[in-house]
Amino acid sequence: MRQRAMWSAVLVVGLALAGCGSASDSGKSTSSDGKLVVWDWKSGEPFAKSYLDKAKADFKKKHADVEVEFVAQPFDQYYTLLGAAIQSGKGPDVMLFNGGGQIRDRVDALVPLDEYVAEDKQRLAGWEAFTKDGKIYAAPVTLQGYPIYYNKAIYQKANLDPASPATTWDKFVADCAAIAKAGSKCFALGNKEGVGIQFWISSMGSTTLTAAEYDAWIAGKRDWNSANVKRLFQLWKETGDKKMNSDGANSTAMFNDSFALFQSGKAAHVMGLMSDVGHWQDFNEFLTPEKLGVMKAPVVTAGTTPSLPYDGGIGYAVAKWTKDPKMAADLARSLSSAEALKAFYADAGAIAADTTIDVSAGGPAVSTIVGELKSGKPALHVALSSKTIDLMGRLSQQLLSGSITVDEVVKQLAASDQAG
Amino acid sequence: MPMGNTQPSVRPASAGRAGGAAVTPVAHRSGARPRRARGGPGAERYAPYILVAPAVLIIVLLRLYPLILGVNFSFTGDGAQNGTAVGFGNYRELFADPLFRTALSNVGLLVLLLPVAVAIPGLLATFIYLRVPGHRFYRSVYFFPAVLSPVIVGAIFNLLLAFDGPLNAVLGSVGVGPVDWLGDPDIAMFMVVGVHIWATFGMALVVFLAGFATLDAALLDAARVDGASLRQVVWHVVVPSLARTIQFVFVTTMIGMLTSMFGLLFVMTSGGPEGSTYLPEYYIWIQQGQMNRPALASAASTILFVIMLVVGLMQIKLLERAGKED
Repeated sequence: MRQRAMWSAVLVVGLALAGCGSASDSGKSTSSDGKLVVWDWKSGEPFAKSYLDKAKADFKKKHADVEVEFVAQPFDQYYTLLGAAIQSGKGPDVMLFNGGGQIRDRVDALVPLDEYVAEDKQRLAGWEAFTKDGKIYAAPVTLQGYPIYYNKAIYQKANLDPASPATTWDKFVADCAAIAKAGSKCFALGNKEGVGIQFWISSMGSTTLTAAEYDAWIAGKRDWNSANVKRLFQLWKETGDKKMNSDGANSTAMFNDSFALFQSGKAAHVMGLMSDVGHWQDFNEFLTPEKLGVMKAPVVTAGTTPSLPYDGGIGYAVAKWTKDPKMAADLARSLSSAEALKAFYADAGAIAADTTIDVSAGGPAVSTIVGELKSGKPALHVALSSKTIDLMGRLSQQLLSGSITVDEVVKQLAASDQAG
Repeated sequence: MPMGNTQPSVRPASAGRAGGAAVTPVAHRSGARPRRARGGPGAERYAPYILVAPAVLIIVLLRLYPLILGVNFSFTGDGAQNGTAVGFGNYRELFADPLFRTALSNVGLLVLLLPVAVAIPGLLATFIYLRVPGHRFYRSVYFFPAVLSPVIVGAIFNLLLAFDGPLNAVLGSVGVGPVDWLGDPDIAMFMVVGVHIWATFGMALVVFLAGFATLDAALLDAARVDGASLRQVVWHVVVPSLARTIQFVFVTTMIGMLTSMFGLLFVMTSGGPEGSTYLPEYYIWIQQGQMNRPALASAASTILFVIMLVVGLMQIKLLERAGKED
């Protein structure tokens, strides 16, 4: 027994001192020369068919002899599987990414695309979310933003003017009191996964932080002790304390329970998305386009101008281990070609990265959103690392349950933000 | 220990054919083996090793090598430090992370709740054995949840325990305010464990019923004739007779609790609220899949492995001692 213990000790110490090899490797591509493998979580869906057909046709024009294989992975497991592929250094040549932390954390495994996508830079929007240290790592397909949707029918019921929602926070709180009297909650909130706070700081950021603070935040110079940053979290707590949110927010899943609350008229507002899910097209199932409104964030700090927070939503990146980066980059470009994106917008109900697409048939809400893209800015939470976002999710739950103070929250977030 | 079992059955035969003095298996065990083996022809000398080689190779290649690789990764860095040795850096980071500490303390909570998880199927099996009215019906009903996937069970209880769900509606109708079952950090972990027990106690119940099948009915009759109450029968007759069954259920329930709660956690709470329902497995999954920290996840896996090793060894000791008493 003693000998066994000694051997284990020797093994542990040996490994600790050696620590050789690595948990993630970089190596070669699995695919052969005439074939490119693409990983995503979309290609299995029926709505993606015409999009992929258009993209493939566009790619065929450039590389007629190259076969393209799309492998659809389940989204729940996507980054786990991708992590395993990156570790083994073998995997797809081209892969789909969410903008922000998800791609920035993994740029070690990607090829910078700047030289390949120069032509597309004007036509497409949302590059910022796929950029790290000044280098572009993916070509945007959709734009993801965080507009505030409201239910015009509830406004009418509460004797409010559906055509002119509140423009200041105080007026907004007063409106919510009227909405509460009419029997609805102000916000449909799902914060079980801690995602609610992300939408909150991004939706309210432009009217709470000054323009200078906002730009500094995006540039990575975040002053967590500034009064306005604290105000952002204070307001979040206030909506909980004043019972403005739907009940049981910490146990309600955002996808799609909170959106269901909004659709079914139990709450007047929701901070939603503009692509994929929880957006104008989803809501239209129960809320007709005339009943669905999109409002600008109410002004909290005097002198601020509301702007739509949005970034590149999803985009295709090229793996470092691919044999011919130029060819793989061409495929990524084809996947965001004008024709393909038009099909994506029409079938999937996403705001495509190509802002020249005509959206007037989609209803007033989508027209309002696209109209605001020009003055829009990157969303605040997308600039944070996944680790800080994860921590923020847990802290936001504590704020709602009242077990932490705003000062403590910003202190912990500042520490995590500086470490990451 | 496959080696220990195979050798005595192979050796005596080879020793006999080699024409040497009769060597009893007892002599082998007491250390005469190396001297005898040197005398045999080469093929026969290596035969046992060749025969066990496939099993050993499979264990070494598919079990030990990945295990050592994983432990090795836990001493390397992530991201920019990928592949460089960081010593115990990952372990220091883990123990400084309040979330990982919560996950470990939840493991402790599971151990504390273990008696409850064993007592429930034990009591219900006793009632079935004592033929309470409807025992046939209950026997099948109790087993039913054991065949459901944790994901389905989690989804069902998500609906039942929702803030505006049926359980709160029932409470409301008797005048008790709604409780946020899965949104209150003080309650959520108990709800998840409760659902896990509900979903898995059927299996333990079956083991208990099998144990009861070996119970001497004459003892029960004798106790009844002597005028023992139900409580006395259970405590003085049933429990001592089932000691080994109870120990077995303890071991299997413990393993089940530590290794198969992931599905329920994933569906019911996602580790929340406020990180209060994290378990090491879930932490490992988050670090590797969501945070892109494979080395840190390896370190957490190593710690979980050590915990399981200690718990497992303790349980083996316990079973051995119980076996000796028989």
